[in-house]
Amino acid sequence: MNSVDASEHYELGATDLPPSLLTIVIDTNPHAWALLEDSLPLSKAIANILVFINAHLACNYANEVAVVASHTQKAAWLYPSHNAPRNRSDHEGDVVMNGATDTTTPETNKYRPFRLVEEQVTRNLKEIMDSTTADDLRGNMSTMLAGALTLALSHTNRRTLAWAEEHGGANTEDAAAEGNGNGSTATNRYSASNEDERLQSRILVVSVSGSIDAAHQYIPVMNSIFACQRLSIPIDVCKLSGDAVFLQQASDATKGVYMALAEPRGLLQYLMMAFLPDQRSRRHLVLPTRVDVDFRAACFCHRRVVDVGFVCSICLSIFCEPPPGSDCMTCGTHLDIGDNAKPALLPRRKKKKKRVNGASGTGTPMSTPTPGP
Amino acid sequence: MASATSRPLEYLEGLPGTTFYKLYQQPSTALAIFRRMLPDLAKCFVMALLYLKDPLPTADLEVWVNSESKKERDNALSILGRLHILSTTLTSENVRAYMVTNPFAASLRQALMGAEDSHSFGVFSQAPEHNLISIADLDEYARRQWEGVMGYMVGTSALSGQRDAVNLSKGVKQLLQAGHLVEIRGNRVDITKDGFGFVLQDVNTQVWHILILYVESAEAIGMDSVEVLSFLFLLSSLELGSSYDKSHMTPNQLRTLTDLADFGIVYQEDPDATRFYPTRLATTLTSDSSALSNPVTGSLTGPAGPSGGAGSGFIIIETNYRLYAYTSSPLQISLISLFTNLKYRFPNLVTGKITRQSVRRAIEMGITADQIISYLLSHAHPQLRKHSAAQSSGKGVPASVLPPTVTDQIRLWQLERDRLRATAGFLFKDFTSLTEYQAPCQYAAEIGVLVWKSDRKRMFFVTRHEQVAAFLRSQKVGGK
Repeated sequence: MNSVDASEHYELGATDLPPSLLTIVIDTNPHAWALLEDSLPLSKAIANILVFINAHLACNYANEVAVVASHTQKAAWLYPSHNAPRNRSDHEGDVVMNGATDTTTPETNKYRPFRLVEEQVTRNLKEIMDSTTADDLRGNMSTMLAGALTLALSHTNRRTLAWAEEHGGANTEDAAAEGNGNGSTATNRYSASNEDERLQSRILVVSVSGSIDAAHQYIPVMNSIFACQRLSIPIDVCKLSGDAVFLQQASDATKGVYMALAEPRGLLQYLMMAFLPDQRSRRHLVLPTRVDVDFRAACFCHRRVVDVGFVCSICLSIFCEPPPGSDCMTCGTHLDIGDNAKPALLPRRKKKKKRVNGASGTGTPMSTPTPGP
Repeated sequence: MASATSRPLEYLEGLPGTTFYKLYQQPSTALAIFRRMLPDLAKCFVMALLYLKDPLPTADLEVWVNSESKKERDNALSILGRLHILSTTLTSENVRAYMVTNPFAASLRQALMGAEDSHSFGVFSQAPEHNLISIADLDEYARRQWEGVMGYMVGTSALSGQRDAVNLSKGVKQLLQAGHLVEIRGNRVDITKDGFGFVLQDVNTQVWHILILYVESAEAIGMDSVEVLSFLFLLSSLELGSSYDKSHMTPNQLRTLTDLADFGIVYQEDPDATRFYPTRLATTLTSDSSALSNPVTGSLTGPAGPSGGAGSGFIIIETNYRLYAYTSSPLQISLISLFTNLKYRFPNLVTGKITRQSVRRAIEMGITADQIISYLLSHAHPQLRKHSAAQSSGKGVPASVLPPTVTDQIRLWQLERDRLRATAGFLFKDFTSLTEYQAPCQYAAEIGVLVWKSDRKRMFFVTRHEQVAAFLRSQKVGGK
């Protein structure tokens, strides 16, 4: 009978639950997929991912999806494709619906939004695969993860702003007004409204390439990860083969789900169970996360993944060996190692990256000679 | 969301299991029910179980959910059970396990993957379109028809008949009367208590209300309610702005289509046309309320005219109970005047004050405080929303859009009048021991059906007894 007395406050504001935006980064590195040919060929994986996308769209009328391919040479949009010919102006649509001349083959046994995504993804993927030459593959074994993550992030950002403008419009204007003054636009834009009230976005990386090849992208990848962390966009990682150091850190830092599939054939079930729930549902579920995260970093000079290395005392760049000419390659500061006291300084400067971050106080007094000669 | 979802959900729950079996044959129905009726967590469960070959043991599902979210889990499972989506079986090792029931699972899988050619999602019209109907035209048509229905109920169309009068068909009027939304006395149309509640709801809820009335009355005029219902779900999955072919439809569906055109839910040039267009009222049937508050649908309820623009609301309320409504629509003004003392009227603005007297008058007519508040909330001016968003940025809790003093006071004014609230339900009593009483009571609280309990008398009252009874039975079996 407690509900009858008037002491409770009447709350109706939080009933409108915002939809979620899922950006999927698919690693399309042909080298890695060739290794998986026996258990899960790319075509089958794409089919599984498409069903997963449909499931995501089915969960809410306004849910959105975006797909990015991270290929050997470039990162490209699979959906929505921005350069596709627009034959119909559809400004009111909740999902960006462009392309796909539909009047020719009206196949109606499928819910239309599902079909649009499917057609575009398969067509664009085919285009990418067709445009890849043998020469491209010979020179490059890795995947453009950094570019793909950046594309995903910028798309997320744009949709978040557009969505906020459509619904209430409070956040954007306030953010713009405050941001002009103090230059902290990003934080305002995202923290202005309650986290539940903005577009719920997350990024899913379906990764097949190993980490060694991706080490040369260490810096841009880490930058994207930090951006996601700041905007509280979880990066979920579904690892089909290999084991990428940076992606472990990505999901760890952004509180995403990390799963290395023991049995790639069951991809769809893994996707449905672990990766489908959005942020709201995740609060209620026990999700697989990784306990032992590999925190190693890649050096800035040779992109090697290192356990122990040199760290510039000014900009914290990491090197696997003393940089040539003792000048930091990132900030150009002359470091006091190469010239005279190299062997003597080595044991003291050599320390784990993690400790440098934590206890930088001990490192700084030594490295003051930066003004140098 | 609660108010918007509950009505269709309640109606569906009341259907017998065989009806569900027939309904779930259609992929579009399975998809629509999945999307519209289930809470988030229930969706996760269904999707996780959908592609599993073997049923998932109940214990595994319990482990999957956080221990703090037990209530949400039980609530989700209870809804899934009531809609006949999830059932429990025994696995080969004699463990209780969940599985998605079959016609639903197969249909949902088919909706996701697209299997055989079933025309479940409509057939595009192939005929060349000589006069193209734009989305704006459809919105305008839907708005005019729907406002016509509302105006008929409130009686504004009689007052200002010169404004593009809409001809309501006899069927519409009969339906409104059959649903006890209006009473026709001689030549006069009187709105009932239910009718007042109805006109203050948001459009989506109203459409559902009408559609359910329609389905209920379908049996009476010799149509299969399952067929009508699955046709409605099919409509909700069509795409706005494209035309669909009518030649594949059954006579009953064609008849439904003509009736729905009167409400502005679909558009056809004339009843014999070969194609029809779903309007936004149809395509947003299975969306949630946030999708509905987009500018165009908002203008369906908001002030008439090409105002469009961003945001749909037009009402501003101040903490001193003054109300400003930027509208010139006679329908909206007469709705507001139901619970407000209107003072001034300008070309595009009316102002007034919400007083104890005006609210009591409304309540005497059968309008509840919740209805007033939800009306105000769904039509709140963007400025109000902006203000509340700015307020909430500092604190963790979201500030309410309407001034809390006003909403609380409206409720208090209602409580002055009716201090009793009737809840239909079931009383459990005569437990022999306290422990025997506590377990089912706690379970009832977890699944959200508990209304009242008394530890001293060892009694509790629930709104739904099936699951509690099942729980008691399972306890008994476990005990022996």
